[in-house]
Amino acid sequence: MTVPALRVSGLSVWIGSGADSIQVVDGVSFDIDPGEATGLVGESGCGKTMTAMAILGLLPSTGVRVSCDHIEINGRDVSRLNTAQRRKVLGRDIAMIFQQPATALDPVFTMGQQISAVYRRHADGNQRRAHEAMLASLESVGFERPEEIAQAYPHELSGGMRQLSMIAMAMVCKPAVIIADEPTTALDSSTRALILHQLQQLQALHGTAMLFISHDLGVVRQSCRNVMVMYCGRLIEKTDCQNLFSHARHPYSAGLLSCIPQLGATRPGRISSIPGQVPALADLPSGCHFAARCNRSEPRCSESTPVLDAQDKKGVACFRPL
Amino acid sequence: MMRETWQRLKSDPYGLSGLIVVSVFFLIASCVWSGLLGQGWYEVSGTRWEGISAEHWFGTNLIGQDILQRTLFGTATAFEVGLTVTICSTLLGTVMGALSGWYNHSWLDEIILWLKGVLDAIPFYLFAAAVAFALQGSPWAMHVAMIVTFWTTTARIIRGEVIRIKQRGFIEAARAIGLPGLKTVFRHVLPNTFHLLLVQASIVFVAAINTEVILSFLGLGIQDGVSWGLMLAESSQEVLAGHFGNFLAAGTALFLLLMGFNLLADALQDALDSRRIVR
Amino acid sequence: MLGVTFISFLLMVYFGPDKTYELLGKNPTEEQIREVRHELGYDRPFLVRYGDYLRELVTFDLGLSDSNGEPVAAILARTLPVSLALVLPGFVIGNLLGLALGLLAAWYRGKWLDKLVMSASVVGMSISFIVIIIGLQILLCTPYGLNLFPVRGWQVDGPGSYLYYVTVPTLALVLVTLGYNTRFYRAVMAEEIERDHIRTLRAYGASPAEQLFKHVLKNSLVPVLTRIMFSIPFVVISGSLLLESYFGIPGIGLVTFNAITSGDQPILKAVVGLTGILFVVALMINDMLYSLVDPRIARP
Repeated sequence: MTVPALRVSGLSVWIGSGADSIQVVDGVSFDIDPGEATGLVGESGCGKTMTAMAILGLLPSTGVRVSCDHIEINGRDVSRLNTAQRRKVLGRDIAMIFQQPATALDPVFTMGQQISAVYRRHADGNQRRAHEAMLASLESVGFERPEEIAQAYPHELSGGMRQLSMIAMAMVCKPAVIIADEPTTALDSSTRALILHQLQQLQALHGTAMLFISHDLGVVRQSCRNVMVMYCGRLIEKTDCQNLFSHARHPYSAGLLSCIPQLGATRPGRISSIPGQVPALADLPSGCHFAARCNRSEPRCSESTPVLDAQDKKGVACFRPL
Repeated sequence: MMRETWQRLKSDPYGLSGLIVVSVFFLIASCVWSGLLGQGWYEVSGTRWEGISAEHWFGTNLIGQDILQRTLFGTATAFEVGLTVTICSTLLGTVMGALSGWYNHSWLDEIILWLKGVLDAIPFYLFAAAVAFALQGSPWAMHVAMIVTFWTTTARIIRGEVIRIKQRGFIEAARAIGLPGLKTVFRHVLPNTFHLLLVQASIVFVAAINTEVILSFLGLGIQDGVSWGLMLAESSQEVLAGHFGNFLAAGTALFLLLMGFNLLADALQDALDSRRIVR
Repeated sequence: MLGVTFISFLLMVYFGPDKTYELLGKNPTEEQIREVRHELGYDRPFLVRYGDYLRELVTFDLGLSDSNGEPVAAILARTLPVSLALVLPGFVIGNLLGLALGLLAAWYRGKWLDKLVMSASVVGMSISFIVIIIGLQILLCTPYGLNLFPVRGWQVDGPGSYLYYVTVPTLALVLVTLGYNTRFYRAVMAEEIERDHIRTLRAYGASPAEQLFKHVLKNSLVPVLTRIMFSIPFVVISGSLLLESYFGIPGIGLVTFNAITSGDQPILKAVVGLTGILFVVALMINDMLYSLVDPRIARP
């Protein structure tokens, strides 16, 4: 039994304070093993990014409340660390790749300066060794002339090159876990394939665990072995990708899959959509949040909440799964 | 929108207290204008430099005039200067800004921008002095100098807003149904910038009162009547001899009014800032 | 630059006071008037006179002061250093302190420290310059207060006496500018702190000091420098005008003040021209600094 690279259990996030607070993440628990890539999919606003920010402890201290049983990286609980201790973890043991490389990088420092700064902060203060590590990292994401990239400012690079540099920055300390928040959404499709390929290669090379957040099931299928589906702040199904596409068990997952237009289908069939609307987070129904939109629901669905077995890799939070 | 703004203003204790302070001062000024208060500002009603007494609440000045009366009258002066300058410079700034925003990139826009640049580059007190010369000591020289220099910020704001709003749909729509250009600006664009104008106007008001004090102190300000600036100028010599009446009265009144306006301007800005609703 | 000189020329020379009658006795003849006007150059065309003014400025041949006959250039050379020495400490301290407080308030945005700093800055903005000066004088320079510093004057002959005379004006300048500076810097910094790349820094474990002093500060340098550079001409001329006329310090402000009250045209012309020059120099330095600070401007 290996120790999971990232273990999250019982993570909840509320926005606002007191009686007006809205729960945006509700009891999220999962494990990711070293070298494993797990996708987190769901519609926008379902709490995916909130989950990632809460894991890193990046949510603002005012107006947001976070609670969890524990968040472990390689078996070490990082959720109870104070700010100074947490800073040592961020970037060294767990790193994040953001959605918009154009704004997520500092425009007035070169890529080299930004990447070396991460290395010097966590690994080795020596300027020359940091420079070498930075160049090696840039090379490892596939740049043939890392020196040129190192001397470039973010605005001098294309979107894809910026995202590759961002990946190089995430990988420079060889963290145990990488969280990629919609890393390819802002890019065109040919660049997307390149980025996904590089991410997979690096992951295999260093045995890095990855939490891959996306609303795009197709991208998740390309890059992840396992997948978790999120709806209104809760994980509702965990399975591996193949299984999800062939035998989705939660009615919502099945609905989500049927929304993907089939390329090369002989006759353009109707693009289906899930009936009803996502309930407002401020006013969630009791029981299963999906019950009202579900064609398989029965009375107990709105009375009690179906639960997902916390650390299992597969499971579904539904009383009447498909 | 106005009602919503008022609701938010009411729930802001700082803004509300600012509003109350400004209202009280405005009431005093109105009383002075209608002859109920401060009419004895020029009468020599006591001996010089009297202390605080029931008859002279803040004492008397160098020649025995009552400081309370002068402070009250100064309130009216402050509002006269403030209102004149604010209204005129806001009007001027609005017209100039609307013109240069609507005819963006045309020669008219270029000229107005150039003029703004020039006016912003001249040190204000020198400019005021120059205007005073040019107008041969007219009592309005100070007002003119302030109006001519203060409109630039308003114009810049309005110009930016007009350009921004012009790019949105509804001006296109108004044009499409055949409303002429500039008329459209005044009928549709300007109401959309009203909130910005209000905030800017309160800032100009503060600047006008502040500047009046400094200009009066330099001898370029109010020619007849009395203002807080003149009282402070008087006091600058008296305080060395230990007579603080003028200084305390005018300084405190000035501080309270400016503070009131600053709080009001801040609260207005918060209350009218539509982005706040989203946050 | 041309605009500044043009407007000032228009106002002060063309519409300015006519010296003709001051130079002549009572009841001058028509002939005498024409003669004097010619001597003063009043009869020449507008553009020619404007051209002369520009030439005077460029060659620093600024003529003689009307009031005491001293060359204007010499007066400026004597008084400008005094003014710089007077306003520089206050200007630097006011901006640095404003920057520090603005940074602090922006970092603790919405917390009590932010509210405290912001309330204090509103109070600071509400006190008139004059009130601050007189108030400080009472507190520091008279027997009614601490009586530590001189009420007025400027007899500087070393670091000790410099401190003795410069302290109160400096304090006044700092107090009057601090509120505005703090608010401005807070707004700039708060915007920068919200930016995505600062979030990236936090996600990679950068300390608050590294975030603020390395990244927030460097990114906000453009607006900060613009404000500093463009306020220099105003502080040197307007700030010193008030301080010097009040404290009786023989700098360029006092000279200007006296020129205003006595209508000394050559001096006023020179001061306005000087401001224009300062303004243009500030503009140029500003552009230069931009390209140093922001790589997006440096490398097109």
